[in-house]
Amino acid sequence: MSERPGFPTESRTIVISKDTDGGYVISIARMLARKAGFNENDEFLIAAAASELATNIYRYASAGEVAIRIIRDSGNSRAGIELLASDSGPGIENVDLAMQDKYTTKKGSLGSGLPSVKRIMDEFTIYSQIGIGVKIAARKWRQHGQS
Amino acid sequence: MDNRIDNPVMRQEISTDLKLQLLDQIPTPVMAVNRDFEIIYMNQVGAELLGKNRGELIGKHCYNQFHTPHCNNDRCCMRKAMTTGEMVSSRNKIPLSDGDKHIMYYAVPLKDEGGNIVGGLEYIVDISEQVSYEERLQEQSRQMSTPTIKLWDGVLVLPVIGVVDSLRAQLMMESMLNKIVETSAKVILLDIQGVAAVDTAIANHLIKITKATRLMGCECILSGISPAVAQTIIQLGIDMVDSITTKSTLSDGLAEAFRILNMKVQKIT
Ligand SMILES: Nc1ncnc2c1ncn2[C@@H]1O[C@H](COP(=O)(O)OP(=O)(O)OP(=O)(O)O)[C@@H](O)[C@H]1O
Ligand SMILES: [Mg+2]
Repeated sequence: MSERPGFPTESRTIVISKDTDGGYVISIARMLARKAGFNENDEFLIAAAASELATNIYRYASAGEVAIRIIRDSGNSRAGIELLASDSGPGIENVDLAMQDKYTTKKGSLGSGLPSVKRIMDEFTIYSQIGIGVKIAARKWRQHGQS
Repeated sequence: MDNRIDNPVMRQEISTDLKLQLLDQIPTPVMAVNRDFEIIYMNQVGAELLGKNRGELIGKHCYNQFHTPHCNNDRCCMRKAMTTGEMVSSRNKIPLSDGDKHIMYYAVPLKDEGGNIVGGLEYIVDISEQVSYEERLQEQSRQMSTPTIKLWDGVLVLPVIGVVDSLRAQLMMESMLNKIVETSAKVILLDIQGVAAVDTAIANHLIKITKATRLMGCECILSGISPAVAQTIIQLGIDMVDSITTKSTLSDGLAEAFRILNMKVQKIT
């Protein structure tokens, strides 16, 4: 996961330790997505994905961070957004299950968070270790022709 | 063009001593550590922040001096800067005798002539004022953020603007339910035109709110569904549309409310 074909041009790291930090993640995600040149629809989608990651950290790991960065691919031909979430919580017992729609361990929740992030973003990697924590990297590239 | 830069005499004048003196003059803490996180340099302001002499800090582990939530773990920006070779910055807080000091800190790797990372340089910016401003703003917006307004006899509207977290969703629900009882409203318009984002948690809150109002005999219409919101709801894979009456604009929502109440808006002829 440390392999990075894209290199960052601007990045923000938001520490997640309380309920309201998710709101901060939303604002930063929208700001950076706009800066990277995404249209309003994609800006909104990226904010939702970033918010899911922040919510999960707050809910299941109680502390961690979300880094959001503008990236460019190695040929410097297109821009994108990268979301990196990391926490030092309990980890996810069964990642395949967690990636399924409607799977949740929290009563009353929809269980759509992680699968939505995967649907919204173009690239998605999740790495979980029991007792160590969860690391998620997700990227979305700007489509050609998007000004 | 500034050709003084190419003047070898000028270049010589910026000696190591002078550079260190310059760092000393910077009115914000500056620190350098080696790869083992032992302090190799601390400027005057940095030493004052810790209430120590500069001399006694040299050779000590930085994490034993600052004791922040990032110290000596993976969240440390200095550690990240040394592993990635990039500048890394983050918010953090330093526990001091008179409470936590909110800071933003920036760490850059220090490299030798061969390009090997031999340590890191860090500077700290005090953001306590910014943080307390943000907290005040957050509190104010929380208080302002749940206005349920009577729009017409039997019709209420609640405009949702900005970020919805779970506490705010809870307050919104309470404000709506109270106003429904107070005004015996039959229709409530929940307008999300100005919402900053919709994720699964927010969608779930909206679904719960509409269910609760229905239990009280009041129909809830979700209006202000922009193309961005519509697309996001689809990506979230939530069947909101089947269980909730949705309208793209507030005025479409109001027209629907009038229809439910068997009312008609007419031009006076
Ligand atoms: N960072 C994490 N640490 C530990 N467990 C996690 C983490 N993120 C997710 N999980 C586990 O994976 C499950 C699925 O997560 P997902 O985000 O898809 O749904 P949810 O959070 O349960 O509900 P929703 O996101 O729809 O509100 C969670 O219920 C939880 O058990
Ligand atoms: Mg979730």
